[in-house]
Amino acid sequence: VALTAAKGVLRVQLQCKNLHEYLKELSPEILDRLYNHPATCLAVYRELPPLAKNYVMRMLFLDQPLPQAAVALWVKKDSEKDHDQCVSVLSGLRLWHSQQLQGGLQGNILNPVFKDNLRIALLGGGKSWADQGDSLGPDRHARDVESLDKYALERWEVVLHFMVGCPSAAVSQDLSQLLIQAGLMRTEAGDAPCITSAGFQFLLLDTASQLWYFTLQYLNTAQTRGMDLVEILSFLFQLSFSTLGRDYSVEGMSESLLTFLQHLREFGLVFQRKRKSRRYYPTRLAITLSAGVSANSSSTAMGATPGTGDSGFIVVETNYRLYAYTNSELQIALVALFSECLYRFPNVVVAQVTRESVQQAIANGITAQQILHFLRTRAHPVMLKQNPVLPPTITDQIRLWELERDRLQFSEGEHKYGLYLQCIYSLCLSFILQGLGCLVWQNVAHRVIVVSPQGHGEVKRFWKRQKSHT
Amino acid sequence: MVNVLKGVLVECDPAMKQFLLYLDETTALGKKFIIQDLDDTHVFILAEVVHILQERVGELMDQNSFPITQK
Repeated sequence: VALTAAKGVLRVQLQCKNLHEYLKELSPEILDRLYNHPATCLAVYRELPPLAKNYVMRMLFLDQPLPQAAVALWVKKDSEKDHDQCVSVLSGLRLWHSQQLQGGLQGNILNPVFKDNLRIALLGGGKSWADQGDSLGPDRHARDVESLDKYALERWEVVLHFMVGCPSAAVSQDLSQLLIQAGLMRTEAGDAPCITSAGFQFLLLDTASQLWYFTLQYLNTAQTRGMDLVEILSFLFQLSFSTLGRDYSVEGMSESLLTFLQHLREFGLVFQRKRKSRRYYPTRLAITLSAGVSANSSSTAMGATPGTGDSGFIVVETNYRLYAYTNSELQIALVALFSECLYRFPNVVVAQVTRESVQQAIANGITAQQILHFLRTRAHPVMLKQNPVLPPTITDQIRLWELERDRLQFSEGEHKYGLYLQCIYSLCLSFILQGLGCLVWQNVAHRVIVVSPQGHGEVKRFWKRQKSHT
Repeated sequence: MVNVLKGVLVECDPAMKQFLLYLDETTALGKKFIIQDLDDTHVFILAEVVHILQERVGELMDQNSFPITQK
């Protein structure tokens, strides 16, 4: 999380971790228990870079470790970098570990739990992942794919509406607690929760990233609620492999999984007709979830946000006018976050991007990058035909308006001058401080340095040592 | 012999630095706040004027911009 201070308001930058980064942070025991489920192994395998997938496939049916030298021979000389990156990914996820071979060489062997379960996932066998709803007979109130999509979108929009502060949106206590814990909203004693700057940034992301970020936050708090992280994660991966439009039964699910299912129902990831229903339908949001964030902000090929039936709806002109062809209150509220709404018609909203509106948004904690990302991902198909998608004048100007506020950069420091005598020592000092990372600025010619407050202690100690030497 | 002063280091472009020197000379913020002028792009100032300084800079930027909207 990166912090910059502007006008006394802390701007926190949202960072969406992808699946691998999240898994790397889990403790080894949890990871090992996680790999006990074939669905998880398949999901993790799916997200690996191609070279790593190749390695895993080659070692999948070997029961003995393979010398590291042999593995290094699999790539050509000039792809050393890819090989090293691959090795670090695989070790970080604990998919393989090194073991000593008989000859004394270091070898690599796939994590046995992962190996067995991936084999099961690929070849079949083992327990069935989720009970199909067949045992319950045909559903009288069956839902088709379209209505599932609509339901999912509705529920997710209620959550977003609640964040924007529409009075009509009401969510459960649990969900608002979760939003507060995720740092997206904050509540002063007894008042209704209000949105934070991280919350603003969250609103402007595309749906897939939002879902993923939210799920990660949920998983982080799962343990404090007494839920089993491994169970929940495995269930989540299982969901991502289910078929859209098919119902599944809740047979055999433990208490905590049932609670989790209720929460998913509230976010719109799962549809259940009533709380006590014995069958549930995964929605499109759940299935695209773990395909989630590996290529989020860099993919400009995404014309349509997944889960929404319609494609982009915003047209931006070079005279700073913005036309949003939408009826949805939420989208209009989002556009109004950084632009001034001029006119509103039954199917269009006309707005203008002005210096005041953009700087107001920036004061609220949104960055220019996010505004541009928002505009790009919701660009109308007509806009998508031109290259680049947004007019350069607009993108440059929004960035300039952001930079205007950053003309001065402050860093806390202590200023030391007058190291007249031992100029050699001042040089040594600056090298030390650079290593420690607390040197803020130096002018070697004038023998002046500025150190950060943390460095002050270090410098004092260094100075005392030097004085005692002379 | 070493002299130590506490404050805040400001990094900016040369034009903005001239503005800071001007504010300091005319004591527009109520007192002289520049402790030392370090080089073309760095200035060392008192810690407490940071907020007021940002406001002043904001005002300068506002004065220099004009609305280009047509309604």
